[in-house]
Amino acid sequence: MNKTAKAYISLFKIRVAESFQYRMAAFSGVLTSLVWAFVDVVAFTAFFRYGDRAKFAGGLTLEQTISHIWVRELLLFLQPFSIDDELLLKINNGDMGLEMCRPLDLYWHWFARSSARCIVMFVMRCLICFAVGFIIPGGYGARSPVSPGAFWLFVPSACCAFWLSSAYGMLVTAVRANIAWGDGPMYFMLLIGQVLSGGYLPLQLWPNFLQPFLLLQPFAGLTDIPARLYIGSMPLSEAWLGMGVQLFWSAAFILLGKRILSCRLRTIAAQGG
Amino acid sequence: MAQIELSDIRKAFTVRERPEGRWGLLKGAFARHARTVRALDGVSFSIGEGALVGLIGPNGAGKSTTVKIMSGILTPDSGACVIDGRVPWKERVAHVAGIGVVFGQRSQLWWDVPVSDSFSLLRDIYTIPKARYRARLEELTEALEAGSLLTTPARQLSLGQRMRCELIAALLHSPKLLFLDEPTIGLDAVSKLALRGFLKEENRRSGVTILLTTHDMDDVEALCPRVMVIGRGQLLYDGTLGGLKRRYARRDGQDIDEVIAAMYEDLAL
Repeated sequence: MNKTAKAYISLFKIRVAESFQYRMAAFSGVLTSLVWAFVDVVAFTAFFRYGDRAKFAGGLTLEQTISHIWVRELLLFLQPFSIDDELLLKINNGDMGLEMCRPLDLYWHWFARSSARCIVMFVMRCLICFAVGFIIPGGYGARSPVSPGAFWLFVPSACCAFWLSSAYGMLVTAVRANIAWGDGPMYFMLLIGQVLSGGYLPLQLWPNFLQPFLLLQPFAGLTDIPARLYIGSMPLSEAWLGMGVQLFWSAAFILLGKRILSCRLRTIAAQGG
Repeated sequence: MAQIELSDIRKAFTVRERPEGRWGLLKGAFARHARTVRALDGVSFSIGEGALVGLIGPNGAGKSTTVKIMSGILTPDSGACVIDGRVPWKERVAHVAGIGVVFGQRSQLWWDVPVSDSFSLLRDIYTIPKARYRARLEELTEALEAGSLLTTPARQLSLGQRMRCELIAALLHSPKLLFLDEPTIGLDAVSKLALRGFLKEENRRSGVTILLTTHDMDDVEALCPRVMVIGRGQLLYDGTLGGLKRRYARRDGQDIDEVIAAMYEDLAL
């Protein structure tokens, strides 16, 4: 088991090393993040200042919302924007067959690779953008967590989010491995994940009657749950519930992803030569 | 007991076809008919340890399918295959730990990182002890004159250089069995000769069983005492290249490629 773990860590490392070479991409990524964050901050400030507060019964203050936006940029690497481009290429051109010539479980082999890709985005885009956010003045910038306790619960929750995000990415990859289905189901799954993660609009600003559903659905764990802990809109005593939801859905995605991938492998055709 | 034992292996693929004609595109969107292609139609053979066997046949004959079944990628529809006491597709992980593969048209190296990074990853994947890995890497790089390539990213290697690195990658864990699917495709004369020399030497020294598919008859002539011809999903000939020549050559001193062409014609491939 120990030896196997070493192989996965090695896979992880090589994928990180590979992705670190693209510095220009990182630079433009940071810039994009900053522009998005800026647009959102300005828009929400306008809503809060000039909107009808009585109708606007959402559970967040302006300060919390702005903080949520910056935490979202920090956790942007967990958003399901796409699946691992190298794996997608291998699925399409049949190199998937070669991957099966390695004495590893294909699911965990690919899990390690695709999660490593996210780590690179975290270091080269999200961290930098978040750090820049801190020097923005006038209440528009990033803030520290509401309390030290919030910080110490935010960190494990973000780790759970990383696990959840990798598991969901692998589920989408496994679905995409059925090449006959094409790109459609993949884009559909990715978009649902992005919207319901609270990445576009913090989930606590959605209508009240949806709140129980929004907290328990699988994608809140990607961004919104750790962000709630960070900005203090979820009582620290409820952190166990948040992380429980995250871990539950991670396990469900892993089981489902493994199942779909192994079905696919049984009927694999290894197209092309 | 033989190292590789295949008996009556069958594998069919379904090909979905679009109706022809002016409205074919539209009709095809609603009703496609599926055609079954029998890639392998009852193939049996056995190969002993340390053998060097060439697998030839026209394009689409079923060579690659055979190799893929033996390397555990494909599951056949019926038939039995036992390699080193294991059924490849049932005990895939244990099976592939003991084999090496090179598919000439695909790469197992990581595209953007130095080749040596790919090698150390393979060391961890195959759990090769550090000392043995170093010795083996040195031995292989020396034999293939690849020492200067180790720090180059795979994407910047020429085809010949890349193929040498692919071979190292496939042999690092000292497999008992090596499958080569068109290893000399696209290589220049010098690289081809070097590759053949290396394979022969590796087979002699470490006793690795080598099975290669190729369209280059010179590969077969230079390397393989035993030749198997696959066509229409069946094993049509199994023996020495000399025997094959005797049977199909139409005149003395005929070029080997002409002999093979004559054979394909005779067998209506």
